[in-house]
Amino acid sequence: MVAQMIEGWNLVIGIEIHAQVNSKSKLFSSSPTDFGSKPNSQVSLIDAAMPGMLPVINKFCIEQAIKSGIGLNAKINKKSIFDRKNYFYQDLPQGYQISQYKDPIVGEGFVEIETENGQKKIGVERLHLEQDAGKSLHDQDPNLTFVDLNRSGIALMEIVSKPDMNSPEEAVEYVRKVRSILRYLGTCDGNMEQGSLRADVNVSVNKPGNELGTRCEIKNLNSFKFIHAAIVYEAKRQIKLIEQGDSVNQETRLFNTQSGETRSMRSKEDAHDYRYFPDPDLLPLTLDDDWIKGLQDSIPELPDQIKERLINEYSLSSYDANIIVSDKAISRYFEDVVKNRNPKLVTTWVTGELFSILNKKNLIIENSPITSKQLGELVDNIENGKISNRQAKEVLEEMCESGKGALEIIDEKGLSQISDKNEIESLVDNVLNSNPENVKKYKNGKDKLFGFFVGEAMKLSKGKANPKIVNDLIKKKLSQ
Amino acid sequence: MEFDKKSLLKLGKLARISISDDKLNNLSKDLNSILEFVDQLKEIKTDQVDPTSNSLNQKLEVRDDKVDTKNSAEDILENAPEKEMDFFVVPKVIE
Repeated sequence: MVAQMIEGWNLVIGIEIHAQVNSKSKLFSSSPTDFGSKPNSQVSLIDAAMPGMLPVINKFCIEQAIKSGIGLNAKINKKSIFDRKNYFYQDLPQGYQISQYKDPIVGEGFVEIETENGQKKIGVERLHLEQDAGKSLHDQDPNLTFVDLNRSGIALMEIVSKPDMNSPEEAVEYVRKVRSILRYLGTCDGNMEQGSLRADVNVSVNKPGNELGTRCEIKNLNSFKFIHAAIVYEAKRQIKLIEQGDSVNQETRLFNTQSGETRSMRSKEDAHDYRYFPDPDLLPLTLDDDWIKGLQDSIPELPDQIKERLINEYSLSSYDANIIVSDKAISRYFEDVVKNRNPKLVTTWVTGELFSILNKKNLIIENSPITSKQLGELVDNIENGKISNRQAKEVLEEMCESGKGALEIIDEKGLSQISDKNEIESLVDNVLNSNPENVKKYKNGKDKLFGFFVGEAMKLSKGKANPKIVNDLIKKKLSQ
Repeated sequence: MEFDKKSLLKLGKLARISISDDKLNNLSKDLNSILEFVDQLKEIKTDQVDPTSNSLNQKLEVRDDKVDTKNSAEDILENAPEKEMDFFVVPKVIE
């Protein structure tokens, strides 16, 4: 465990999340935002920063920032200002990024995460709107860098946390939670592989009771695994430095996903001097109460609320409820199946059996080979006693391979369980009549033979008899 | 505000513009005179005025989230001094 590795040390972590707004067009231009298009095919004269071009803000993006702010329990600022953040880089044709500095659209808020020691509140410092930069390719040519401006100008929400996290696990939980909230709200698709959500992580270490250590920022982490690994590596590195009597330099570092190490990108001395100032092309953004109120009313049920409802309505455990609400697609699937069915059975089949199949096939629930309707049909057949749990597993696997419905497979394979009392009774009579010796022994106190009778009856039915009815009948007959 | 040579060189570095030694003096003098001119604004008393980032008494115009593709990759790359395979091409940038 990480906690042991850094025993005697405090870990302090703050995170900046960059979440791409789920808009069709860019923040200040009407260029499309599609992922994976031909290089430079989504670049307007504004995105390429041609002289005389003026930015006009996308109303939808403003609304998504406000909704995200509400989802993060944060204060919405009725007046916010767009600033220019100046730096020179080849994928930033304007020479500055339009961002928000002193007056962001969203102020302080918080999210709740689950930790080993129960619930923990993680503070959100702010959320602001800004432009994404283009993409540079450094490995195409030994002497040249290639630039694609398709991403340039796409709207990002930068969500800055307070330094409230104290372990890599908490950091991962925080990013998971924010991602989940944004996905429930529909303001960001949360696709980390495509870079729609990425995290910069600030890490420092100190001895308990001492003042905070010097922090390093690790840039651009795009998976939960990398966030965890980068924090572990960085904490170890800093502890080693301090234990050797060296000091930690405040710097920006990059995480190498191949080696699992971080390396220095630039130190504080080379840190950028961004010379922020209000963008003269853009007036302050003012929000009136009606606009905010309208958006407030459009906020869907969020994970924390759904969790509470699942626990109240279906008596789910907190553990199961957490798994189900961790993602919008999962909770939607679960609620589709659970309607008018046994919640406990449905939970087992969704979070247990279905998840293990998805894991094995490396799929997410959105492209599950089994629809919620199909799984519901399977659960119905378990609930009405037509098939046993064990048979249902077999059916589920077959459903997955063939795409056929549960009933069709049950009929085809002749799997259906015998639940007819008369039929089972004649099986049981048959077993008891052909084993008079054992019946005598059982009645004289050899209880263990009960299992023998059940086994024989099941064997006789070729495994199809409903075990519960078999048990009940044998018990009844032997006590007569 | 005094604009010394050191600040001038830093500004040049941030903007990736090289400034040769023989231009330093004149440039510094020019920038100082501009700053002195702007400094006159400081004579106005503003302690009773809210900070403002814009003097226009208007609301920010917004647009709907509609896609409008006016340019193709060919159009936009026409402005590039150097291009290859639909990319802008610049000298190697080492991180």
